Amino acid sequence: MSQVFDKMLDARGLNCPLPLINARKEISKLEVGQVLKVVASDRGSVADFLGWAKVAKNMELLGQETETTEGANTYVHYVKRTA
Amino acid sequence: MNDEVWTAGDLLERLQRRDKFFVLDVRNRDEFERFQLEGCSPIPAVNTPYFEMLELGGKDEMLDSVVAYVERDLADRLPSDLPILAVCAKGDTSEFVAQGLRRLGYTSANLKGGMKAWGEHYATHALVISADLTIYQVSRPARGCLSYMVASAGKAIVIDPLRHLHPYLDLARGMGFTIEAVIDTHGHADHISGGVALAAKTGASYFLHPYDAIHPFDMLPATIRYEFIRDGQKFPVGPYELEALHIPGHTLGLVAFRLDDKYLFTGDSIFIRSIARPDLGGKAETWAPLHGESLRRLLGLPGRITVLPGHFSSLGEADEKGRFAATLDDLKKRNDGLVVLQRESEEGFVRYLLESLPKFIPEYVDIKRVNAGLLTLAEEDAATLELGKNVCALSQAYVATVGGAE
Repeated sequence: MSQVFDKMLDARGLNCPLPLINARKEISKLEVGQVLKVVASDRGSVADFLGWAKVAKNMELLGQETETTEGANTYVHYVKRTA
Repeated sequence: MNDEVWTAGDLLERLQRRDKFFVLDVRNRDEFERFQLEGCSPIPAVNTPYFEMLELGGKDEMLDSVVAYVERDLADRLPSDLPILAVCAKGDTSEFVAQGLRRLGYTSANLKGGMKAWGEHYATHALVISADLTIYQVSRPARGCLSYMVASAGKAIVIDPLRHLHPYLDLARGMGFTIEAVIDTHGHADHISGGVALAAKTGASYFLHPYDAIHPFDMLPATIRYEFIRDGQKFPVGPYELEALHIPGHTLGLVAFRLDDKYLFTGDSIFIRSIARPDLGGKAETWAPLHGESLRRLLGLPGRITVLPGHFSSLGEADEKGRFAATLDDLKKRNDGLVVLQRESEEGFVRYLLESLPKFIPEYVDIKRVNAGLLTLAEEDAATLELGKNVCALSQAYVATVGGAE
């Protein structure tokens, strides 16, 4: 997926709940319509970002992907500020 | 024991003591549905995913959101007179929850390491320690899985080792045992066996009945290295012998092991509360009559023999020391399945089996593939695949006993 994004958040090495908490803080700094790319190493973040998108009122989850580099997975989430 | 941080071991101790507490689980809903804390009796619980607390609490930080959310939306569902255990996947997020609850005046603790630590916790109990025979029961309480180390004169046989090898390696090292043989009573469906890996690590031989080296759905032969178990085969343990009894039913290659008239390692045939299900190979109607026949063969053994099963369905089945064992005579009176077996005709028993099948767990097909060497998984995927409690018994075994009376 070649999703366009405006800002990137590196949450690699951070455990739950930090990737989501930090993403939430970053989102509030974006303009409405802008997209944040979150890169995490915590696999639990995949289900958590999905669940978060269902309850959050100011964001939309545009997509998620898994990248594998040197045997280690990173989990990428594209989050758009909507309000 | 720290009152604000419970390790998996502390939790087990409290569950076995039947301590009363309440659970606030902040994992996402799917994870909660699939794998929950269970004790001797049901544990009252509320599930609110942490991201809902965060969003609905509306603060930037987790702790502040927890306080705001609980105060406004959850207070009427939380008990004020019981300790509240905060639970999440790995134990970090739930620490904020426990702190938030304490700030609001609740008595609250965090489950250290979360459900991952609980799911991977092992407990070891000595069943027999005599001059010429030692038997340990190694359990994985969250999964309801049981395995055994049987030793004499410094040499040990491990039966049904579970996925993590450290409990067996530590025990063998501590006791000065050499592990000479590793046996799976059958090709497991509910959990990933540690058999092949333990044998490779210790240089021991790994044994399996060849019928269970064929995947029942794929109809493909296992790629793992194993030695055949034959009905009647004898495995020496010092002055004793473990005698293989081929008892097809739960799987086609299921084997029980009898140590004289003293101990019967039943694998997945006779458990404490109930008996094994015959449908995990997808052939319930064909295998159910075999299962009945095999169970009748076991019923013919001396009543004073101690049954050592492959699973339990509730911690409440343990004796006062936390061990899962009972004599055959005792089980004839109180094991759901054995009571029906003794009462019913062959046809009646088959009908009972087929009417008592719990939901089929789709993951079990892949777990059998892993155990046969037909599928290889990374650690994280393996842990996810075998998450949750085993469902290897008939459905009656999973009906909660109110008050935990046993």
